[in-house]
Amino acid sequence: MKSILIATTALITLSSAQTLSIKGSDTLGAKLVPQLAEAFKAAGNKEVKFEIAAEGSSTAFPALANGTAQIGMSSRKVKDDERTFCRTKGVYLKEHPACHDMICVIINKNSPLSGLTKAQVSKIFTGQVKDWSEIGGSPGQISIYTRNTSSGTYKDWQKLAMGGRDYPASSLKMAGNEQIAQEVAKNKNGIGYVGLAYSKTPGTKTLVIDGVQPVAQNAKKYAYARLCYLYGPDKPSPEAEAFMKFVESPAGQEIVSKVGFIPVKDL
Amino acid sequence: MPIEISPSPENPHRFQRRGFSCERAIKYFFASNAGLTLVILLLIIVFLLKEGLGFFPGYRRELEIYRIAGLEFVDISRKNLTAHEQLSSVLNRAYFAQINGQCARELKRSQEAAAVFNAFSDQTSATRELIANHEATGMDRGSEMLATLNNNHACQKQKALDSLPLTPHLSDTERAELIESIRARDVTTVGDPPLVTALAQQYASAQQQCAMPIAEWRSVIDSFEAAGADLSALVTEMTDAVTTTKEAIQNNDILENDRKSLLAAAANAKDPSERQKLMAEARDSLAEKPDIEGPMQSLMLRKPDCIATHAALRQACEGILAMLPPSLSQSDANRLLLAARKASPLFLEALTGTSQQITQWRHDKPVPLSDSIRSFLTGKDWVTGGAWQDFYGILPLLAGSLMISMVALCLAIPAGVGAAIYINQFASPVEQAVVKPVIEFIAAIPSVVLGFIGILIFGTILRDLSQLDGLAWVPGFPIEERLNIFTAGCLLALMSIPTIFSLAEDALNNVPAAFSEASDALGASRIQTTFRVIIPAAFSGILAAVLLGLGRVIGETMVVLLVAGNRIKIPDFSAGLGTFFQPSHTLTGIIAQELGEVPLGSVHYRALFVVGILLFAVVLGINATAHKFVNRTTN
Amino acid sequence: MLNPELLIRKGLPKGHFKDRIVRWILGATTYAIVIIAALLFLKIIKDGAPVIFTSKAPFVNFEFLLDKNETLHVFDDAQGVRHQLPASAYNDYLKGHNGVPIYNQQTFSYSGGGIVGPIVGTALLTIGSMVLALFFGVCAAIYLSEYAKQSPFIHAVRLAILNLAGIPSIVFGLFGFSVFVLAVPVITSAPSDRSWLTIPLFIGDMVVSFQGWNSSLIAGCATLACMILPVIITASEESLRAVPQGFRDASLAMGATRWQTIRTCVLPFSLPGILTSSLLAITRVAGETAPIMFTAAVAAKDDLPWESLANPWDLLSSQVQALPYHIYTLAARIPSSEYTQRAQYGSVFVFILLVMSLSVGSMLLRAKLRSRLKW
Repeated sequence: MKSILIATTALITLSSAQTLSIKGSDTLGAKLVPQLAEAFKAAGNKEVKFEIAAEGSSTAFPALANGTAQIGMSSRKVKDDERTFCRTKGVYLKEHPACHDMICVIINKNSPLSGLTKAQVSKIFTGQVKDWSEIGGSPGQISIYTRNTSSGTYKDWQKLAMGGRDYPASSLKMAGNEQIAQEVAKNKNGIGYVGLAYSKTPGTKTLVIDGVQPVAQNAKKYAYARLCYLYGPDKPSPEAEAFMKFVESPAGQEIVSKVGFIPVKDL
Repeated sequence: MPIEISPSPENPHRFQRRGFSCERAIKYFFASNAGLTLVILLLIIVFLLKEGLGFFPGYRRELEIYRIAGLEFVDISRKNLTAHEQLSSVLNRAYFAQINGQCARELKRSQEAAAVFNAFSDQTSATRELIANHEATGMDRGSEMLATLNNNHACQKQKALDSLPLTPHLSDTERAELIESIRARDVTTVGDPPLVTALAQQYASAQQQCAMPIAEWRSVIDSFEAAGADLSALVTEMTDAVTTTKEAIQNNDILENDRKSLLAAAANAKDPSERQKLMAEARDSLAEKPDIEGPMQSLMLRKPDCIATHAALRQACEGILAMLPPSLSQSDANRLLLAARKASPLFLEALTGTSQQITQWRHDKPVPLSDSIRSFLTGKDWVTGGAWQDFYGILPLLAGSLMISMVALCLAIPAGVGAAIYINQFASPVEQAVVKPVIEFIAAIPSVVLGFIGILIFGTILRDLSQLDGLAWVPGFPIEERLNIFTAGCLLALMSIPTIFSLAEDALNNVPAAFSEASDALGASRIQTTFRVIIPAAFSGILAAVLLGLGRVIGETMVVLLVAGNRIKIPDFSAGLGTFFQPSHTLTGIIAQELGEVPLGSVHYRALFVVGILLFAVVLGINATAHKFVNRTTN
Repeated sequence: MLNPELLIRKGLPKGHFKDRIVRWILGATTYAIVIIAALLFLKIIKDGAPVIFTSKAPFVNFEFLLDKNETLHVFDDAQGVRHQLPASAYNDYLKGHNGVPIYNQQTFSYSGGGIVGPIVGTALLTIGSMVLALFFGVCAAIYLSEYAKQSPFIHAVRLAILNLAGIPSIVFGLFGFSVFVLAVPVITSAPSDRSWLTIPLFIGDMVVSFQGWNSSLIAGCATLACMILPVIITASEESLRAVPQGFRDASLAMGATRWQTIRTCVLPFSLPGILTSSLLAITRVAGETAPIMFTAAVAAKDDLPWESLANPWDLLSSQVQALPYHIYTLAARIPSSEYTQRAQYGSVFVFILLVMSLSVGSMLLRAKLRSRLKW
């Protein structure tokens, strides 16, 4: 009886190791990681199965802590309390830089504006400026599209661009980068921010910030650049380890740049 | 008609001797299944309360940190700073509205020309990029390919030229010139066509011209903006200080919790070495109590500084605001100016009152539990995951839910009840047989499909409609966001119509035939019978139908999550009926949107359960009232 | 023929005109609803049907129904020809055209391939929850209609049923999440930290740990079953009560026990009615999104639920895709463009077709039953 039970549990642990569950950031999880996963399978790891849920960076760490994910995606660095929380659950986090990203400010393509200063961006997103005419656009009330609150980009943006101030209540919270781009493309008075990979959406245009165009070459000069990470436990499963290796390999980094991010080694 | 089974006397089974038969076991089995509903209801209540009630102490602690770290103190000044920024934004908008109003023609012309060019480049840019890529890589075998591509480009160009947008403000020659310059463009041409540039320049110079006469006013606004610099610097400086304190306190809380959980884990650990390790970690986690008093004292030393800055700002603003022009020629600009005039005494008054607020503020004033309850029930902000302070105020969500329900019911009651009356009283049997199943069919549409329709079809149609010049008289048109209260309300109306329709129809059906016969006999017309006799008789049933419809609307999730626009803000009621075209968030939507993203057991997680409890109570209350009405009819 | 009533009405010239206006307004309202509903369906059929049905034999696009969901890659090749390929085909293309550059690449998550995962997931969720709900619901209904007398217990049960029926689906989501996902007992050797109570079993290091079933098929089924239970109970009780009392009396008079009576003389006659009305409950279960969002559904999953399982009962503890959640993802998470339309409208069309056919089936069956069973 006992042996049967033990065999069953062994089987259960075996079966759960075959699927690789990845949770966290939408910036990474909506485009880059699924494509990395597909390429990883195409590169001879057909038996590995993926489950990818991209709800925001803040979801990565609780999932890693209670073992519902083997890899966490995060568009920001892990916070101290999150690391401590994981440690209390026996998971010691290991950090793998996946790519560089630049947060691009996008507006509707019919707007006459092509660039803003950092001060103007801060004024727009904190709600000090409410109408496009105040900063030289054609008149119309500004609609601000932001990410949802669990997003790493949401918090990074507060730090990088808004001097730590809160978003105005009139901002609209969108579940992902794609939705922000889509709404901005449809609203001639819209403004939003997206990861570099999403800045090419038809109907939008990317703004030059303080005279710097957000393209890969300018990553060092651009005001809103950041690193994105994959997190895993210090003792990962073989599949998770292989996948992390694949991401860091030249083949993986090639996909990174093809999707529109900047490879880690390029900076 | 229950019948007791009497045990047969000759050969009693031993269970039966103890008064326990197989039959009885079966009966209790079924009874326990019936009791399952009770258990489920109980479990729902217990678990909602279990997760939800922890919210209030947690939120109290957050509010306490907000106070003892001094964030509350900074917010007093920050509020004034925000008010100042708002006021200068209004003045700025008035200024630009004046200028743009005066050169509206140039603006329109410039926009139209740009729109024509944009429409063209939209269609051709993909192929142009391809060709550019080819030429950049310099592939020699491309000659054939390039030819194909160039051909494609030419086709697309022609197609784009055939469907250019209208330009009512450009003269025919100008339009022809513009089209000609676009037609003449090569694949490699970069930059705007000359007319677009020229019109943009015209617009810019017109702007300058219009700005000239009101240059004095510009300087007034500039000096008003500049007056806020001191306060802004002060707030920024204090913000940094209090944020550091707050982080220290929060870190201490986390470490303290961590230590407790490590100690608990150590107590449970079976392996001694593991236990040692955990104990050691717990010791590491032991943190010093953060210094609250020190930073607070230095913050308190800033009080006179704060008061002085506010007084200076007040004085400066009073002088500047008195120099505002009495009126402006453009109506838009004038409206904004009036708004600024109205707001300025309030602003100055607030500045005056601040000094007292600042003097009276104390960081050691206790935060009782009732504060967190009050802050939840009457709070105007739902701010989560922010860098400054999280607030859980229910009002914006409640307002959104109520306004959406209002729109839905305003549409669904006339439609649902009207249709019920028509089908019940006037329709021919054939009509009945067709219409009733169709309306019942609507009830079977899953709500997520309605949300899908709203987000992909209805919202866009509504916005396009609102941009028609002929409909500009509708309040709120043209709408800013395609996803708003009205869009969601319309879809929810469609959703609740079947409920209201079929229940109201039942109620009408239940009116005894004698009523209408008596009315007919008195010579009443059909309309008189319907409206004076049948509807009053069925009134409480119809009311119950409406209430049940309301219960369904308030509890609906997917439609509002997808379509309501998700802006967490109490709608701006000053817009009149246009308020209904603003985006909003709802009680149900917030749970669905945020539950998946919050860490288990956090204050935010618990807040969502409290919202759930509220929703549960509201909907049960509505349903209970409805059933009271139903019972009244049947009795 | 002289109809006195008509004469009276015709003799009322004052109300006549008003009469017609009121009638006309009411009629217009009614038909407005019908037309709006028809337009909705037409729009979905117009955009969705071409995805599923083709003009050539076998007239059904099985690829969309039977393929797995993938990312869609859209790109131009060097000739300027636009390709739309799901990820697997895209990778094959890249391999087949080694080194040939592609241009203007765009990717659309969830838009390539088919929707077999969501279809299967919804089927599993529906079957699981209906099995649970039918079992408990019919048993409860038997008690209510066959055994129950007026008592405080019955009163409480009826009140509970009434209240359960009114609870919003998102509250069921919260309930399912806090109970089935986080708190119900499991037998395991490695209890999780969130377990709020563990009871040792003294077999190996097995314990009963109250840590929940995680987000899984079984948790979703249980949540949906709780939600649909009141509907099933009410419908079943109605069917049971529709069996004439004489059947029971006759059976009892023959000396049958109560259970024998129920088994042989009541249940067989009410079963068609119970099943028919439970078809309607299926439409509700299949269509709900909010309760499964946190209890069972996952946006992307490579496998069908039963693939790569070590043992069959792992099926119950794995997450599944579901059609309504898939549609939510397609509506909220990806942009709408000419390339995503296929996935979006196709999925909605399949979903509507499924739900509508269930609901029509239930309507027809009910009508047939009414005409057949008349005692």
